[in-house]
Amino acid sequence: MAVAVKSWKALGTSVHVLSTHDDGLEAATTAVRDVLEDVDEAYSRFREDSELTRLNANAGRTIRISPLLATAIDAALRAARLTDGAVDPTIGRAIRVAGYDDDFSRIAAEDFSERGREMKLHAWRVPGWQGIRLDRRLRTVCLPHGVELDLGSTGKALAADLAAAAALAAVGGGGVLVSLGGDIAIAGEPPPGGWRILVAEDSRVKPDGDGDVICVPSGGVATSSTTVRRWSRGGVVFHHIIDPQTSLPTSGPFRTVTVVAATCLDANIASTAAIVRGEAAIDWLTSCRLPARLVENDGTIHYIGPWPDPTSVAA
Amino acid sequence: MDSLTPTQRDRGLDRLRRLTYWATAGGLIAVVGVGIAAAASYAGKASSTATAQTTTTTTDTTTSSGSTSSTSSSSSLQSTPQAPTTGSSGSGTVTSGGS
Repeated sequence: MAVAVKSWKALGTSVHVLSTHDDGLEAATTAVRDVLEDVDEAYSRFREDSELTRLNANAGRTIRISPLLATAIDAALRAARLTDGAVDPTIGRAIRVAGYDDDFSRIAAEDFSERGREMKLHAWRVPGWQGIRLDRRLRTVCLPHGVELDLGSTGKALAADLAAAAALAAVGGGGVLVSLGGDIAIAGEPPPGGWRILVAEDSRVKPDGDGDVICVPSGGVATSSTTVRRWSRGGVVFHHIIDPQTSLPTSGPFRTVTVVAATCLDANIASTAAIVRGEAAIDWLTSCRLPARLVENDGTIHYIGPWPDPTSVAA
Repeated sequence: MDSLTPTQRDRGLDRLRRLTYWATAGGLIAVVGVGIAAAASYAGKASSTATAQTTTTTTDTTTSSGSTSSTSSSSSLQSTPQAPTTGSSGSGTVTSGGS
């Protein structure tokens, strides 16, 4: 079945919109762009004028927020609750201190090690999500003093879900798939056999590359990996998945985890938590009954739940 | 004061029974109504921890860019109704990977 595709860059990553209705692609693309612009204004950590930046600058005060930011914070708190804090939005300061304080294209271009700055790593526990006061009805939130939110983990996946739903509504039928940097959300009627998804460690791998290809009819797929979005400071290599227990990048046995779930958000929560949980990830994912693929640091692959037999199929 | 005839006494007892019935029914309706109103106005606590966090635990609808989308807020991570299958069929390949 022919599928129409549109790709561009947004939110510092690649965006792909696929539609089973060729004549609906333009409407779907416009809807996705609108959602991503709203997301950027609401919870970008790198825009001085975003709501999240203002919120982080006003810790200790009760702030009224937009419905979208309220939804994003609510999703982040749910993620923290369901993972016992393995996915915690209060890592904002930790990831900023680690050097991820700007759009990643500029972070990757810098290397402070060449300036001779030595970086000492200190482990400290992040403030914790429990202190955040969110009132959904009044749409107010209050962060404890010293807390900075980072919604990067759940925010992108939530954006994919919202964008897919908006695209489907704009097209008015058929099926759509939205991929934000490899976080994939599906809405509507899939093509016969489902949407084909190449599971890789890096979302920049071309879809016709080698690897496991699965077909997914609905829901979402997310991959978390320590092999991408890496940078160095003072001779130390960092990545973007922070362990809330130490405020440092995770150092567990799994470098990449892919999960299929009912939504991209739930898939991302599970894949990120699995990286953070380390050795406990397999038992935890099994208890969640979510299909998952885990890659150990030495390349050994584990399959959890109803994950299909691995195949390498060229597109 | 004249004594009541058996017929008058029976009518009086009937009135008392009806009064008791409606008073009981009204009381029950009031209790249920106040209960519903109290449940709706007090969100309660999400857990036994000592936080005063206020969160919802139902499916929530958010309007963004003029479109309405649903986000899951269920109390567990949700799996898809259909498990993924091998990639021998299907259309529109995209890559899921870290970014």
